Amino acid sequence: MSLAIAARFARRELRGGLRGFRIFLACLALGVAAIAAVGSVRASIQAGLEREGAALLGGDAEMEFTYRFATVDERAWMEDQSLAISEVTDFRSMAVVDGENGPERGLTQIKSVDAAYPLVGEVVLDPPIPLPDALAGSDSLPGAVMERVLKDRLGLEAGDTFRLGTQEFILSAALVTEPDSAAGGFALGPRTIVRTDDLANSSLLGAGTLFSTKYRLDLPDAAPLEALENEAETLFETSGLRWTDARNGAPGVQQFVDRLGAFLVLVGLSGLAVGGVGVSAAVRAYLSGKTGVIATLKTLGADRRTIFQTYFLQIGVLTILGILLGLILGAGLPLLMSPVIEARLPIPAVFAIHPAPLIEAAIYGTLAALIFTLWPLARTDDIRAATLFRDALGSGKLLPSWPYLVTIALLLAALIWIAIWFSDAMTLTLATAGGIVGVLLVLTLAAMGIRALSRRATKLKSTRGRTALRLALGSIGGPREEATSVVLSLGLGLSVLAAVGQIDGNLRNAIAGDLPEVAPSYFFVDIQNDQLPEFRARLDANDAVSRVDSAPMLRGIITRINDRPARDVAGSHWVLDGDRGVTYTDAQPDNTTLTEGEWWPEDYTGPPLISFAAEEAEEMGLSLGDSMTINILGRDITGTLASFREVDFSTAGIGFILSMNPSALAGAPHTHIATVYAEEDAEAGILRELANTFPNITAVRVRDAIDRVSDVLAGLAAATSYGASATLLTGFLVLIGAAAAGERARTYEAAILKTIGAPRGRILSSFALRAALLGAGAGIVAIAAGITAGWAVTTFVMETSFIVIWPNALAIVIGGVLATLLAGLAFAWRPLSARPAQILRARE
Amino acid sequence: MSEPVLSLQDARLSLDGNAGRVDILHGITLDVIKGETLGLVGPSGSGKSSLLMLMGGLETATSGTVTALGQDLTQMNEDALARFRRAHMGVVFQSFHLIPTMTALENVAVPLELSGHKDAFERAEAELQTVGLSHRVDHYPSQMSGGEQQRVALARASAPRPDILLADEPTGNLDGPNGAAIIDMLFGLRDRHGATLVLVTHAPDLAARCDRTVHLRDGRVDDTPAQKAAE
Repeated sequence: MSLAIAARFARRELRGGLRGFRIFLACLALGVAAIAAVGSVRASIQAGLEREGAALLGGDAEMEFTYRFATVDERAWMEDQSLAISEVTDFRSMAVVDGENGPERGLTQIKSVDAAYPLVGEVVLDPPIPLPDALAGSDSLPGAVMERVLKDRLGLEAGDTFRLGTQEFILSAALVTEPDSAAGGFALGPRTIVRTDDLANSSLLGAGTLFSTKYRLDLPDAAPLEALENEAETLFETSGLRWTDARNGAPGVQQFVDRLGAFLVLVGLSGLAVGGVGVSAAVRAYLSGKTGVIATLKTLGADRRTIFQTYFLQIGVLTILGILLGLILGAGLPLLMSPVIEARLPIPAVFAIHPAPLIEAAIYGTLAALIFTLWPLARTDDIRAATLFRDALGSGKLLPSWPYLVTIALLLAALIWIAIWFSDAMTLTLATAGGIVGVLLVLTLAAMGIRALSRRATKLKSTRGRTALRLALGSIGGPREEATSVVLSLGLGLSVLAAVGQIDGNLRNAIAGDLPEVAPSYFFVDIQNDQLPEFRARLDANDAVSRVDSAPMLRGIITRINDRPARDVAGSHWVLDGDRGVTYTDAQPDNTTLTEGEWWPEDYTGPPLISFAAEEAEEMGLSLGDSMTINILGRDITGTLASFREVDFSTAGIGFILSMNPSALAGAPHTHIATVYAEEDAEAGILRELANTFPNITAVRVRDAIDRVSDVLAGLAAATSYGASATLLTGFLVLIGAAAAGERARTYEAAILKTIGAPRGRILSSFALRAALLGAGAGIVAIAAGITAGWAVTTFVMETSFIVIWPNALAIVIGGVLATLLAGLAFAWRPLSARPAQILRARE
Repeated sequence: MSEPVLSLQDARLSLDGNAGRVDILHGITLDVIKGETLGLVGPSGSGKSSLLMLMGGLETATSGTVTALGQDLTQMNEDALARFRRAHMGVVFQSFHLIPTMTALENVAVPLELSGHKDAFERAEAELQTVGLSHRVDHYPSQMSGGEQQRVALARASAPRPDILLADEPTGNLDGPNGAAIIDMLFGLRDRHGATLVLVTHAPDLAARCDRTVHLRDGRVDDTPAQKAAE
C-alpha cells in the first residue's frame, strides 16, 4: 500500500526533471564506466586468448622439459597420442657479427625448431618467404631469421652472415610475427629462429646449458585435454614435465592480464568510492531542497516509511539511469577504441560486448549507490513537520538510526565479499577496502577538525581586520556541510593519486636508483667446467674488474616435500612455479649468513643435504629436517633441509634458493654462472674479450635487463595512472558539484556583503581563500594517506625499502589547492554579478 | 458542556536554538469544544503558531498534556502523529506549502491517497470545484496566484473531512479581497462539515468572526482583554 503511494509520489516528483542530479549521474556513470571498461578489455583479451589458444601455444597441447630433450619413453607416449609433433628448444645466446671495428654482439632469445614447426598458425617474414625456405639457408650455410630490432642493431641485411656460438648462419629474412610468441613468457632479448639440427656444431646445446624443450602436440579433434594432462602427469610424475594446453594457451599472459585487471578494478572501486561521496552530497543537497515538501507530506499524514520509500524510489530510478549510462560508456569505449588498443597489445583480443564484466560493474555500481545514498536518505526520518513553521533546528543527530547503519554495514560487507570473489585476491582487496574506508574516516575527522579550527580561528584577535580571511574561515566553519563534501571527495581522489605516485616512485627508485651502485655489470651464463679457470684468470688480470662471483648452476624443479606433492604442502608459492637454479658448494661461502641449522662439513659425502633460503622456507612452511625431492635433468634427488640462510635478491647478485652438498650432485652435467663487477667504461672491452674467447658463453648486461624490466613496469605504471586519473576526474566532478550546490548560499552571502559595503575584489578573495584552505586541508590528509599506503605496498608487497617521494607528495597538495580554486572560482561569477536587491527580496 | 475536542493541560514548550534554550510556551491550559471556532491572537512572538503546532502534533510539548479527540498527542511518536493528522486534522499555512512538483489536483489528492481512498482524485476534483478552481486542476503552484494557491491549500485541508481544521494566519500573505474570500471559504467549509476550527490571526475582523478568542502574550494566555470585555 505505502509502496504504491510512494511510487506515485516519486513519479510526480521526478517530473521536475534531472536538475541537481547531473553530478549524481556523472559520478555514478564514470565509476561504473571505468570498472566496466577495464573488465571489458580484460574479457576481450581472455576471449582472444581462448580463441587463439592453440595458435598461441603452437599446438593443441605442449609438454615442456627443462635442460633436456624428451626421453624415448616420453617421445613414444607423445607419438601415441598425437597426429603430429613439433619439437622446439628455447634458450638465450649471443648473436655475433664481424664488423669493421671488431665483432658486434647482441643478446638474443633463440628458438630452434624442426621441420614440423609451426603446427598451428603461420610465421610471417619480411620478405614474405616460407619459413622452411628461410631456414634452409644457402651457400652451404644454414639459414636463420631474426626480429628486426636485433637485425638493425647488428647492422644485418638479408644475405649477411652472423654466428651463434661457433656456428655461422646466413640471415634470410626479418621475423615479423611468430604465432606462439605470447606463450614464451618474459624474454630479455629479441627472437632468432633456426633449425635445431643446425645447432649441432654451435657448442650451444652442450651438457648443462640452460635451455628448455617444448613438444607441441597436434591432437585429434575430440582429444580429452584434461584426461591427457592427468595421464601425462601420472606417467611422468617425477620427470619435471610441465603441461600446457589450448584451454589456456598462454597461462603466463592470462595470469598477468587477470592480475592487472583485478588490480585496475580495485583502482576503479576507489574511483567509485570518490563518486560515492559526490552521489551522497547530491542526494543530501536534493533532500535539503525537499525539506519543505517532506514536512508538508508529514503534516498531511505521510509516515516515515512512505516518505523514505518516495525518495528511495526516486534515487533508485536515477541510480539505474546512472549505471546504464556507465555501462554504455564502459562497453562502448573499448569497442570504439579497439583499433588503438589492439595495435598496442602483443596478444590477440576479441572486442565485443562481454556481459560478465558489465554485470560485475553494475553490481558494484548498485551496491556503492546504496551505501552512499542510504545515509542521506535516512535523514528524511529526522525532518519534522514543524519545519514548516520555523527554520529547521535539525535533530542534531550525527548518525542515522541503527537499522540504517546495520544495512549500510551489511551492504559494505557484501561489496567487499563480491570484490574478493571477482578479483580472487583477498589480501589485496581487503587492504584496498580497508584503505578506502580508513581514508574516508580520517577525512571525515579531518573535515570536522578543519571546520572546528575555522570556527575557532574566526574568533581569534589575529584574524580581526582581515575580512576576507574571516569570511573564508566563517564559511568553512559555518553550519553548511559543503566543506565536508569537498574534503572527502578531493581528499579521497588525491589519496589514490598520492599512493600511486609514492608506489611508482619507489618502484622506479628500487630499479633505477638503488640497484646499479651494487649490481654487477654482467651476468655470464653457460660457462663450461673447463672454461671456468681461464674465465676467472682473464678477469682477475683486468684492473677495471673489482669483483667476480661464480657458482655452479643446475636447474631443478621441486616436486615433493616430505614425500608429498610439493603443491599440497606449499600451495601456489612462486618457488614451485617451474624450474629453479640449484648450486652446490663444499664450504659455507663468506658472504652467507645462516639463520638456522648448520652447514655440512667440507668433506661431507653422506645423504644429500640442502641449505634453503630462509624467507621462502618460512613462507612455504618448511622446517629443518624436512625432506625435499628435486628433479634435475629428469633425475630425482631427495635431500634433507640442513640449514636456512639469508638470500638477498634485490642486489641482482647471485642468489640461489637451493644449495646442496657437492656429492649430492656429483656427475650431473652442469655449467657455471658468474657475475662481474666492473667500471662502466670497461664493460664493452670485457664483453669483447670474453665473448671472443668463449663463443658459447652468453652475457646479459645488467643495465639492459634493468631497462627491459623498467619498460614493463612503466607500462604497468601507465595503466595504473589511467585508472587513478579516472578517480581524480570523478573527484573533480564531485568538487564541481559541491561548488555548484554552494552557489546559492554564496550568492546570498555576496548580496549581504555588497549591501554592507564589501567590494567585489574582497568577496572574490574570500571565496578563493576558502577554496585554497579546503584544498590544502584535503591535500595534506591525502599526502599522509598516500605515504601510508605507499609504505605498506612497498614494504609488504614489493618488499623493498621505502622513502617518501616529496616532489610527488607536494604536487598533490598544490594540485588539490588548484583543483578547489578552479572549481570554486568557476562558480563565483554568478554570486559576484547578481544584484543584491533581487537576491534579498527573493528571500523575504 | 460537550467533551473538548482539543485539550491542553499545563502545556509547556521549550526549544534548543543556536542561542541556547528558549522557553516559548509557559503552562497553557485550554479546552476547545466540538464545532467551536477559536481565534488565537496576540503580538508577534507571543507563541500563537507554537500553540497551534502543539494542537496539531507538529511540535511535542516539553511537559504537560495535549489531548485531541481523547488521545494524548504527547505519547505518540512521529508516525502515529502523522496517521492521526491524516485521519482527523487539516492544516492551512500562511505560506501555503503546496508541493511544487504536483498539480493542484494532485496536491489536494495527497492526503486522500495517504488514507487509502480509491476515489481520491474524484474527491479532490470536487473539492477544487468547491473552492472555485475547477479550471485550474492541472496547474502547478508556480502557475497560480497566491490567492489561488491558498484555495488549493484549503481544499487539501478540508478534502479528507477532518474533525479539526488548524489555520496559521491563512490570509497573512494575501491582499484584502483575496484574504476575505479565503476566510469566507474557511468558515463555509467549517459550517458545511461541522469541523472544529482553530486559527491564528492578526486581523481583528477575522478574530471577531470566531466564537471565542484566546489572547497570548509572552507564551502565556493573557486574560486581561477578556476581563476588560467582561467589565
